Amino acid sequence: MHVLIVEDDQVIADHIVSGLGHVGYQATLARSGAEAIKAWAAGSHQAVVLDRMLPDIDGMAVIDHLRAGGADVPVLMLSALGSVKNRIEGLRRGADDYLAKPFSIDELAARLEAIVRRASQRGGRSGLSIGMLALDASSLRATYRGAAATLNRKQYSLLAHLMGHADTIVTRAMLLEAVWSYSFSTATNIVESNMSRLRTALQEIGCDPIETRRGAGYVLRSDRCA
Amino acid sequence: MRLTRGGALPQAPLGRLAIQFGFAFAAAMIAIGLIGFGVADHWVSRRIDRSLAYHADKYVSRVRNDPAADQHLRAAIDEWQHRKVLSERTYVLFDRHGRRIAGRLDIAPPPPGFSSVRFTGGGRHLEEGRALAKTLPGGGLFVVVQHSEAAEGLHAILPTAVVAICLVALLLGVSATLLFARLTARRLAETQAAASAIAAGDLSRRIATDRLDGMFAVQAESLNRMLDHMEDLVRAQQLFSSNLAHDLRTPLMRLRSLLDAASRDDRAAIAPLVERAERECSSIIAIFDALLRLAEIETGQHPTAMAPVALRPLLEDIADTMEPVLADRGGGLDIGHMAPVTVIGDPDLLSQLLINLLENVATHTPPGTRVTLSLERGGEDAVITVRDDGPGMASVEFARVTRPFERGAAASDRRGSGLGLAIASAIARFHQGHLTLVDAAPGLAVRISLPAVEPSVRRDAMAALQTA
Repeated sequence: MHVLIVEDDQVIADHIVSGLGHVGYQATLARSGAEAIKAWAAGSHQAVVLDRMLPDIDGMAVIDHLRAGGADVPVLMLSALGSVKNRIEGLRRGADDYLAKPFSIDELAARLEAIVRRASQRGGRSGLSIGMLALDASSLRATYRGAAATLNRKQYSLLAHLMGHADTIVTRAMLLEAVWSYSFSTATNIVESNMSRLRTALQEIGCDPIETRRGAGYVLRSDRCA
Repeated sequence: MRLTRGGALPQAPLGRLAIQFGFAFAAAMIAIGLIGFGVADHWVSRRIDRSLAYHADKYVSRVRNDPAADQHLRAAIDEWQHRKVLSERTYVLFDRHGRRIAGRLDIAPPPPGFSSVRFTGGGRHLEEGRALAKTLPGGGLFVVVQHSEAAEGLHAILPTAVVAICLVALLLGVSATLLFARLTARRLAETQAAASAIAAGDLSRRIATDRLDGMFAVQAESLNRMLDHMEDLVRAQQLFSSNLAHDLRTPLMRLRSLLDAASRDDRAAIAPLVERAERECSSIIAIFDALLRLAEIETGQHPTAMAPVALRPLLEDIADTMEPVLADRGGGLDIGHMAPVTVIGDPDLLSQLLINLLENVATHTPPGTRVTLSLERGGEDAVITVRDDGPGMASVEFARVTRPFERGAAASDRRGSGLGLAIASAIARFHQGHLTLVDAAPGLAVRISLPAVEPSVRRDAMAALQTA
C-alpha cells in the first residue's frame, strides 16, 4: 500500500516512514501542505497520514483541497491537539480517523489499515459470520458448528467488531472507541478483562479465533473459524 | 508603586483635578452672586416704582380735572421744596412746550411712564435716578424723580463684588478639593499599601478596615474578600503544580533509569526494558490526558451532547464492562436497587464518572473487594451510590482526595494519575450535581446526586438547554 505522509517534524516523519516501511507500506513524505498537494497530484496513494499543524497551510485546508478535488482517499489526521473537541473538529472536516500525539507506530498502522479496509468495503458490508462462526444480533448468541454461547452486550460488540476487522490488528484504543465509545483513557484493563471473558465463552463452544499480539492488539483469524 | 523609606506612600499629584474643581466652584459662586444681585436690584427697583406711583398719584389726583392744574402743581412743588430740605425724592413740572416751570432738578422732559434719568447731583458727579412722568390735562408733564442710594450703591459695588467672590470661591474651591483629595488619599493609602505588599509577594496582606467607614469600608471589605479568593486560588495552583511535578518525577525517573540500563545492556536484554519504558511513557501520557480532560470539563470546553439520559441502562452497561475487571482482581460487582430515573446529561461524561469510581475501587482497594452499584430517587435528585466493602477512608480525608493529585493514604503508594476523583467531582458539578464521600463502615460509599427530570418535563428541559 502506498501512503502519503504529511509531517513537518523531521524526527516524527522519519519514525512514521520507517515504522510503516517495516509493516510493508510504501511511504511518500511531504513536509508542508503545499508539498502534500503537489505529491498527491503526482502520485497514486491509497491513504494519507496528515499532520494537523503544518508550516504553510493548516492540515484542515489540505483535507479541504483533497475533498474539493473529489478525492475520497482515507485520511488519518495526526495532531498534538488531542482533546475531544479537536478530534470532533478533525473528523467533521473530513478526516476518517484522528490520532493524538504521542502515539505508537503499531496504533498508527492498525488504524491506517482499518480506514483503508473500511473505504474498500464502502457500499456493502459483509454479514456477521466468518467460516462456521456466526453472530446473532437479536439473541446476542455466538454459534459455532451447532454449539451456541450467549454473550452480554459488551462481549457481543467486541466479537462483532473483531469479525468486522478479521485478520487485521485491532488495538486496545480502537476497541475502547468502537465498542464502548469512550473518549477517555482508562486506568484498568477494561478491554483485556472483557476480551478474556469473550474468549472463554468462545472456547466453550470450541472456537478460539482471537489471537493476542503482545503490545499491539488483537487479531481475529478467519482461518480458525473454519 | 514603590514604597518610600519608612513605609510612607508617595502622594499622587492632584494635577488638573484641584484646578478644575476650583474653577467649577468659583463659577458656581459667581452665578449665585449674580442671581442674588439681580433679585436685590429687582426688589429695590420695585420698591422705588411703587413709591413713585404713590407720590405722583398724590399730586396729580388733586388736579385731575382742573384747567389750572399747572399753577396748582407749581405752587405745590414750590411749597414742598420750601418744606423739604433733604429728600431722595424731588418733583419737576414741565409746561406743554417742555420748559421746566417748577422743580430744581435740571433734566430734560422724560417720556410718560417709568424711565431712568441722569442728572448732576449738587454740582458734583453724574447721578442716576428713577422717574415717573405723567401728562397733565393742559399738556404739561409732571415728573417725580427718586434717587436711591441703595440701588446706586448696589450697582457700584457689583464689579468689585464679582471679582472678590470669584477669587474667594476659587481659593475655597481649590482648598476644599485639596483637603478632600488628601482625606481620600489617606483612606486609600491602606489599599495602596496592601496592593504593593501583595505585588511584592505577601499574599496574606489585607486592608485594615477599622479606621474606614462608609463606601471606603465597603470597598475595602469587598477587596479583602477578593484577595481571600485569590489567595485560595494561588495556593491551590501552587499545590497543583507541585503535586504535578512530584507525580511526574517518579515515572520520568523510572524512564531515565530504563533508558540508562538499555544503553548499557546487550541487545538480548533491551526488549523488556523498552517495553517497560513504553509503559512509563504511557503513564506520563495518561496523566496529561487526564489533566486535559479535567481542564476541558472545568472550563466548559468539552463538547457536550446533553440529552435526557436514562441512568438505569447506562449503569447496567457500566456494570457489564467493569464486572470482569473487578472479578479479575478477586472481587466482584453487584447491582443493587435500580430506580428508573432520568437526568439531563452527557452520557460520555457520566460513563467516565462511574468508570473512574469503579476503577478507584479496582486500583486502590485490596483484592477481593466487592462493589455495589445502586440508583435511587432522592427528592428532586437521582442518587447513584458506588459502595465498596474495602478498608474505607478516614472522614478527614474526604474533602482533600477530591482535589487533583491528592490521594488517600491507601492509594499513596500505588500508581495512577491521581485525578480520577477530581474528574468525577468536576463531572458531577458540570451536571449541576455533587459528589460526596460517605463512610460506609465497612468500606467507602461515593454518592453522586444529579438533578432528575420527570419524563413529562424532559421536552421542556431540552428546550431550555437548547436556548441556554
